[in-house]
Amino acid sequence: MRTHFAEVLALEEASLADVTHVAGLARWRRRVVRELMDPRSPYVLALRQTGELRERADFLARWRSLIAEMVDRLLHSKATEQTASAAACPPARSRHADDAAQETAVLILAALHGGSTLSQVVRDPWPLNAALDLALARLAPPGGGAVDDERNE
Amino acid sequence: MTTAETHNGRRLTARGAKTRAKIVAAAADLMYVQGVGATTLDEVLAASGASKSQLYHHFDGKEALVRAVVDHVGQRVMDREREALENVSTIRGLRRWRDSLVQNNALRHGAYGCALGALATEVSDHDDLARKALSHLFGEWQSLLADVLRRLQGRGVLPAEASIDQLATGLMAALQGGYMLAQTERDVTPMATSIDMALTHIESLATS
Repeated sequence: MRTHFAEVLALEEASLADVTHVAGLARWRRRVVRELMDPRSPYVLALRQTGELRERADFLARWRSLIAEMVDRLLHSKATEQTASAAACPPARSRHADDAAQETAVLILAALHGGSTLSQVVRDPWPLNAALDLALARLAPPGGGAVDDERNE
Repeated sequence: MTTAETHNGRRLTARGAKTRAKIVAAAADLMYVQGVGATTLDEVLAASGASKSQLYHHFDGKEALVRAVVDHVGQRVMDREREALENVSTIRGLRRWRDSLVQNNALRHGAYGCALGALATEVSDHDDLARKALSHLFGEWQSLLADVLRRLQGRGVLPAEASIDQLATGLMAALQGGYMLAQTERDVTPMATSIDMALTHIESLATS
């Protein structure tokens, strides 16, 4: 696997594993936005539509799977908190929950891809942040704002 | 430079304009399928049937040709999107717009992506004029989406506090990212999923 793909996956594996709550998600998001706005970053190289197709597809599948694991953790802990506050049993894991995590991971990866393209065109991180606000909305606490700033730290 | 002039400012004859249009259309097709970087001027000459002197009469090099391709593709995409979006004022209408884009991309198993997005990823980091033209085109496309969302807001479907420009940009990113994922997987499923998820979020604001 090309160096920039391996480099991004190693960084993502470490930083996504740390995301167990909304504050961790905000930290992950800030770091990824910083990487995607730096033209020399391996993240920018890795998201270019160039190189061998199968290798790129494997890289994206692996990254998506890491994001899906993080989403699954956050959705599960959110569901557990809501159920605990309603004094009921912890929720059983369902096929529906797995699908929701996979689909949200697709949207997050699309937001990183499409948002960074729009941001590179306007030379401004605003579109990438708008894309992530939408993609991460369901992981934000009920009634909370976007997962993007110090409010969640 | 307008389409009625050559790069040295002379007005074009009808025949000259036709030759120029033929060269740009051939270049746009080649760059869409094999990418800007992989497309040579010799290939454009072969595909368009134009001579080298005709090409250099209209363009002083590949960069100028790429800029003309950005204008050509931009106009085509904007015409399509204006027609698709200018009368949409319901979530169902937005879903029909999504269906049409996904269905069209499915015909090619998502292999080539969005013509405008593909140009953006290839040229925006090394041609500032092309980048500015693309910025203007994406701004126009996002305005069409924002107008749809404002019509929804005007009808009370979306709440007054919904940030329309932010949602329109998020939806555009989901679309562009979806095209790119589909292109890599040679399958439109991730494109369909990403736009669906974005529309579901917008719909959740409508019903909350």
